[in-house]
Amino acid sequence: MDSAPADVRVYGIRHHGPGSALAVRRALDTDPADIVLIEGPREADAIAYLAGDPEMKPPVTMLGYALDHPDRAVFYPFASFSPEWVALRWAGEADVPVRYIDLALTHTLAGGPSDAQPSLGSGEIRPRDPLTELALAAGYDDTERWWEDMVEHRDATSPFEAIAEAMTVLREAYEPDLVAADPTERRREAQMRAGIRAATGDGYQRIAVVCGAWHVPALAAALDAKQARSDTALLRGMPKVKVAITWVPWTHRRLANAHGYGAGVTSPGWYHHLFTHPGPDTVARWFTQAARVLRAADYSASAADVVEATRLATSLAALRGRPLAGLVELNDSACAVLGDGTDIPMRLLSSELIVGTLIGHVPASTPMVPLARNLATEQKRCRLKPEAMPRSLELDLRKPLDLARSGLLHRLSILRVGWGREAQGRASVGTFRETWELQWEPELEVRLIEMSALGTTVQTAAQAALVQHALATKSISELTDAIEQCLLADLAEPLAGIVQLVADRAALDVDITHLMEALPALARTIRYGDVRGTDSGALATVLGGMVSRIAAGLVPACTSLDSGAAESISRLISDTQSALSLLSDPDLFGSFHDALADLVERDRIHASLQGRATRLLADAGRLAPEQVERRVSRALSRGTTPLDGAAFVEGFLGGSGVALVHDADLLGLLDRWLATLESEAFIEILPLLRRTFGTFELAERRQIGERVRTGVGPVSALGHRSLDPERVAAGIETIARLLGATT
Amino acid sequence: MTHETPADILRPHAEAQYANELAALAAGDTRQRPPQWRLSPLAVVTYLMGATLADGTVITPKYVGQRRLMEVAVATLATDRALLLLGLPGTAKTWVSEHLAAAISGDSSLLVQGTAGTAEESVRYGWNYARLLAEGPTARALVPSPVYRAMEQGTIVRVEELTRMPSDVQDALITVLSEKVLPIPELASEVQARPGFNLIATANNRDRGVNELSSALRRRFNTVILPTPATIDEEVQIVRQRVAALASALSLPDLPAAPDEIRRVVSVFRELRMGQSEDGRIKLKTPSGTMSTAEAISVMVQGIAMAAHLGDGTLRFDNLLAGIENTVVRDPVHDTVVWREYLDSLSIR
Repeated sequence: MDSAPADVRVYGIRHHGPGSALAVRRALDTDPADIVLIEGPREADAIAYLAGDPEMKPPVTMLGYALDHPDRAVFYPFASFSPEWVALRWAGEADVPVRYIDLALTHTLAGGPSDAQPSLGSGEIRPRDPLTELALAAGYDDTERWWEDMVEHRDATSPFEAIAEAMTVLREAYEPDLVAADPTERRREAQMRAGIRAATGDGYQRIAVVCGAWHVPALAAALDAKQARSDTALLRGMPKVKVAITWVPWTHRRLANAHGYGAGVTSPGWYHHLFTHPGPDTVARWFTQAARVLRAADYSASAADVVEATRLATSLAALRGRPLAGLVELNDSACAVLGDGTDIPMRLLSSELIVGTLIGHVPASTPMVPLARNLATEQKRCRLKPEAMPRSLELDLRKPLDLARSGLLHRLSILRVGWGREAQGRASVGTFRETWELQWEPELEVRLIEMSALGTTVQTAAQAALVQHALATKSISELTDAIEQCLLADLAEPLAGIVQLVADRAALDVDITHLMEALPALARTIRYGDVRGTDSGALATVLGGMVSRIAAGLVPACTSLDSGAAESISRLISDTQSALSLLSDPDLFGSFHDALADLVERDRIHASLQGRATRLLADAGRLAPEQVERRVSRALSRGTTPLDGAAFVEGFLGGSGVALVHDADLLGLLDRWLATLESEAFIEILPLLRRTFGTFELAERRQIGERVRTGVGPVSALGHRSLDPERVAAGIETIARLLGATT
Repeated sequence: MTHETPADILRPHAEAQYANELAALAAGDTRQRPPQWRLSPLAVVTYLMGATLADGTVITPKYVGQRRLMEVAVATLATDRALLLLGLPGTAKTWVSEHLAAAISGDSSLLVQGTAGTAEESVRYGWNYARLLAEGPTARALVPSPVYRAMEQGTIVRVEELTRMPSDVQDALITVLSEKVLPIPELASEVQARPGFNLIATANNRDRGVNELSSALRRRFNTVILPTPATIDEEVQIVRQRVAALASALSLPDLPAAPDEIRRVVSVFRELRMGQSEDGRIKLKTPSGTMSTAEAISVMVQGIAMAAHLGDGTLRFDNLLAGIENTVVRDPVHDTVVWREYLDSLSIR
């Protein structure tokens, strides 16, 4: 028997074609092979066995990458309806060896990223698609649809002979300019032929080859001796690079071509359905599912509608001369029956059903970079599953589990693995609540591989990333941001180093505005560090130093500024004040307020800054009311120019009219000043005043107007004498307890 | 093209006007036909969309627009659901329904016109009162409605402006559509529909609120929404075709073909309908009246009639402008402003 030539059957398929998948399975069932050869990188042999693992659930993808350039990566996605996947599973069940026979990644990835993606994408749709010609010849304007009618929707009979014949004719017409001109293409086919020869050489008798339909004619000559020699010559001397390959979960959304790394499959959900429910019930089951989706979204969709939609789709298919209702018929019919002629339900069905929300799963034993493996463990520990559909997650940081989750998500954002996005801004750091938007994208696996150079666990990698960033940055505020991230991501180790960096930079930086920018993040870290169990002793020292430097440099920094610069520094001064008030450390406040007090009395300081400083000092109780009144009065007296007066008012009020509502003396001052202005001066300052008052709340403006008109404020009616001390005491006690002042 | 239409009829039925097209289609139609259908579904779609047949007969396109809409409509009629055509005024709902009935049943004359005054008799049956008094309720005294006759014959019946009918009259159709039966309690009998019976209803989806369909009735229909023509070329083609047909029916003298005039009129209508200029650069106010293709057609026909009978025999855009103004200005206050602004915008372009 061993003298008989090996029986090589080449199954030409369309990648991700459910009909092809069914046909391959039928062919292998009726006529079993003793080895299965699949179009795919040779390195895949090493991980093929994992396809048989019960935990492996498509859609999954093989991910090959160059070890030195993890960003140079190739995906070979498989869905349950991919013919290659079906062949792989068949081989696993029949206990038959599988070999991958396409060019090795070690060569394809050596060429650089541009030609790194072999066309295992969209069913051999090339820029100039030869299949289009066949479809046009058959009177179809849509190639995909033609292929579906001819091959995918065919039952029972095997399409492979006809495919081979059609492709042979096509190749003859295209050969000169399409295949020969593409060296990678020629090498790939040479490699596939070599793979077939190797299998016969190893004594296999019934060889099944699963490859893209386009390659079928090229593989016919595999066993020819002359061809063998030219193939060997062609495959010699290709560049090489070190590569690794693994399985990674994939999603149906990713398979759809609208998204990056797409496989050119517009409707994976529909294909999945076609593959899992072939036969007479396909359409009815589809509409049953569609009705469920619609009902879940509060659309009415009755069983009778399902019946009618099915009938309409079937008769549309008959009208259009198609063997089976395709997606176009299903959509038209869903639109007419379920959607009352509109396409509103289609939008729902499109994402839920036609594309589908399925996400794959790979077994724990899959070779992974240590970082990805660690992430899987962390995910299990935090009970967070990666999901393809976006969802939001509320975390209560008082619970240990949620705290761990928050830490993990923050660490991943440091690594720029964008699984979660924090929905609120930074300001939420003080609260015990966090809201995250979670969505797992398969590309994130690539980021993990890129980042795996930084460390083997999420924690160490995030630490390394932070330190790297801290060493590279020049800005102190970015450093203090990094400190805050340490806190959020619960990374204690790099903290000391970064704090030291901040201390060093702060000592060298001559511009105190940088220090002021950096201060709020630092203050928040110290204030809330305790909540998250971070040691903040060293930070406090750094912060103390920074505040002294700010205090010392404030007056020089504020001297001789124009309005724009004054405005930005005024904002920084306010931020510094609120940052310090978080810490309520009298020493820090003391030195800062000394500087402010100095500022208020100096010359050549922009009036709006002086106004702001006066206000901050007043609010902090540093200036007594009569001192404040005196200062404001000075600013509004005839000695100062009206323009300076208006700027002072703007700074003093700082976007809120509350002070005017409650302080009758202040209002009176302002009122008198305005009333005594020369008309020319008034016109000059009017825009500035307008800007100041325009920022007030409507209610504030109304109350101020009321007070000016009547001389009596609505608030002053509530005199102190009407309060009952006993009842007030009860209220104050409750408030004190709420604030935690008493136990 | 040459149609043998009876010369003394103002507007012949579609099946008479396009008799030769229908005959040619039927002759070459080898595909399976649903019971009582004159043509196979595919041939009906061909009749609507136009084609050149193998024997050289040119089928004029009756509907200019997406083929899939007509396919859904025809496929619906082949199932036992009724067809509801929705659309703005002038989107060829009635036109499509007439041609569907003509092609499928060879008879587009069974028609119920929905108005506020449509009574149940026009959907079910009425009585010849003289006979009713003389003989009592007998089959001979019964006056069948178009729906009744369509059920008996197994043909298509059309209901125009379904939503204008009072709700109780609409609901009389529920039994007919779901059970395919029309009970006649007076005679203790019923009419059972023969195969081939179906119903095409049209409704304007702008004034859908007039007498909104009950959900029970709604569920008996598959809905196809006919959109306003997507491109100016499509719309120009529709207008040109219909104007030519109408002009010959009205025996208007042949005016030199005026494609430029048609395009200008259509462009005015489209711009006012969409509220912006064709190139999207200028925002325009929309008038209160509908600016449908049907109105554009009637403006053209009127313009031709004026030029032929009262003018010097050449069609000028100025003559047409008066017609357009009449269409635009329905509300003398609001629409006059709209129209003047539009003319200003024209002059600056």
